[in-house]
Amino acid sequence: MPRLRIQIRDLSKTFREGGREVPAVSRVSLDILDKEFVALVGPSGCGKSTILNMIGGLIAPSAGQMLIDGAPVRDVPRQVGYVFQKDTVFPWRTVTRNIALGLEYRGVTGPEQGRRVGEAIRLAGLAGFEEAFPATLSGGMRQRVALMRTLIVEPEILLMDEPFGALDTHTKLNLHAELLALWEAKHQTVVFVTHDLSEAITLADRIVVLTRRPGRVKMIHEVKLPRPRDVIKLRESDEYAQQYSQIWHVLGEEFAGHAV
Amino acid sequence: MSEKLKINFWRLAILVVGVGAWEWLTGIKAVSKIPGLYFIDPFFISRPSKIVERFFYLNSDEVRLTLWQMLLSTVESTIIGFLVGVSTGFAAGLVLGRNDRLARIFEPYIIAFNSLPRIALVPLVTMIFGFGLLAKVVLAWLIVFFIVFFNTFQGARGVDPDLIHSARFLGATEGQIMRTVIIPSALAWTFASLTPSISFALIGVVIGEFIGGESGGGIGYLIIASLGTLNSADMMVALIVLAITGIVMALGIKQVEMRLLRWRPEYQQR
Ligand SMILES: Nc1ncnc2c1ncn2[C@@H]1O[C@H](COP(=O)(O)OP(=O)(O)OP(=O)(O)O)[C@@H](O)[C@H]1O
Ligand SMILES: [Mg+2]
Repeated sequence: MPRLRIQIRDLSKTFREGGREVPAVSRVSLDILDKEFVALVGPSGCGKSTILNMIGGLIAPSAGQMLIDGAPVRDVPRQVGYVFQKDTVFPWRTVTRNIALGLEYRGVTGPEQGRRVGEAIRLAGLAGFEEAFPATLSGGMRQRVALMRTLIVEPEILLMDEPFGALDTHTKLNLHAELLALWEAKHQTVVFVTHDLSEAITLADRIVVLTRRPGRVKMIHEVKLPRPRDVIKLRESDEYAQQYSQIWHVLGEEFAGHAV
Repeated sequence: MSEKLKINFWRLAILVVGVGAWEWLTGIKAVSKIPGLYFIDPFFISRPSKIVERFFYLNSDEVRLTLWQMLLSTVESTIIGFLVGVSTGFAAGLVLGRNDRLARIFEPYIIAFNSLPRIALVPLVTMIFGFGLLAKVVLAWLIVFFIVFFNTFQGARGVDPDLIHSARFLGATEGQIMRTVIIPSALAWTFASLTPSISFALIGVVIGEFIGGESGGGIGYLIIASLGTLNSADMMVALIVLAITGIVMALGIKQVEMRLLRWRPEYQQR
């Protein structure tokens, strides 16, 4: 029985802005196991980023508990890596120096740093762009940089907030394949936010469907697809189609609801 | 390339026509009965030929203080004042930009001091620091500090919090965040203030030299001294030298900026 990694207990978050109260997340409970790949799906504004920010210690819950390895999260937990929804590649650093950031912060320098960064660049297919500044890269390449920059410090828990949201289908599928390959190698515990159901099915072990704002857990779905998965072939399979329609049946209600 | 050539051609043409007209119009007599009256009186704006002549005279050893020495004095004060102003303004901008409480405490003082016209401080600065290099540097500093401070302050405030968070998740300490996120991010703002800063530093120094007299030296002294002797040619020499100095210093800053802000899209060569 794998151990519990992240425990979310009756978690709620209400934002206060100018005297108005905005409930974003409402009484969410969820246990995430070690090495598990969990996807959070739900309509825009349902509190997905907010939940991720609470796991990452960027926002304090209004009520309930957020535990990592049994301890309440304060501040930024050491073992967590975070790929943000927004592009957070440092524009003033080259690809190499962006990916090296985490090692630099930890005092890993010289040949050791060079070796690990070189390896990451190769894995991400960024060879030839080592000295390029982000302004000259495509969206997909920037996301690869963001991903490798996070993975290079080998976080045990990986939070990803719609990392491929702004990419075209083709680039997205490539990145899914790359992400899965990397994950098969290290088996991080991943919490992956998306509003793209196909993406969630392709990647995750479990899919958590959230309701419209304020987000509550509407359904938890086990993705029963064998690994390793072929991101292209997978989509043609009957199992995929079946699971898709099962979840869509539930998620669609949330999307269909009224405009917020 | 041909576009560049065209532009340079027109620049040169304007210069030649302008200087030519100046020389010619100050040389011909006005259509007038009064003898000695020029179409445009060179007494007030001098003539190019006269200016060139005075330029060489002022650089010869017939004068006690050569133009070159005066220029060096002005440039030295400007650069020192600029550097001190930029470094102190940058440091203060970073500190207050990242510390809300300090910023709120100092706000009224900064606004009050900044709304004071700098020129009103000149006599006081002269009283305290005398007539020499120090007074000129202080004047340049007083102006540059605030320009750089306000820009850096804005820049440091406006740093994208998600960049800071992502650094934190990569294991950065507060010091590392300052060095790898806040400073590079604020630098773009700081640089925007440097070109105006160097011009204002020059203004501060020249004003200081107006008051400073011979002991302060400098191009500003030459201007004031020429006023005393009603010598417009010398004044023109001083103005032209100042203008060229201003251009050279601004170009220098542009070079440094292009190197340090290489990452910005506008500096990425296609
Ligand atoms: N700092 C904040 N202050 C006030 N309200 C906020 C804040 N952050 C989020 N909210 C509100 O909380 C709700 C949930 O926001 P959140 O960003 O978590 O949604 P999301 O599910 O990630 O949406 P999307 O898919 O569009 O990214 C939204 O209604 C949003 O307006
Ligand atoms: Mg979001």
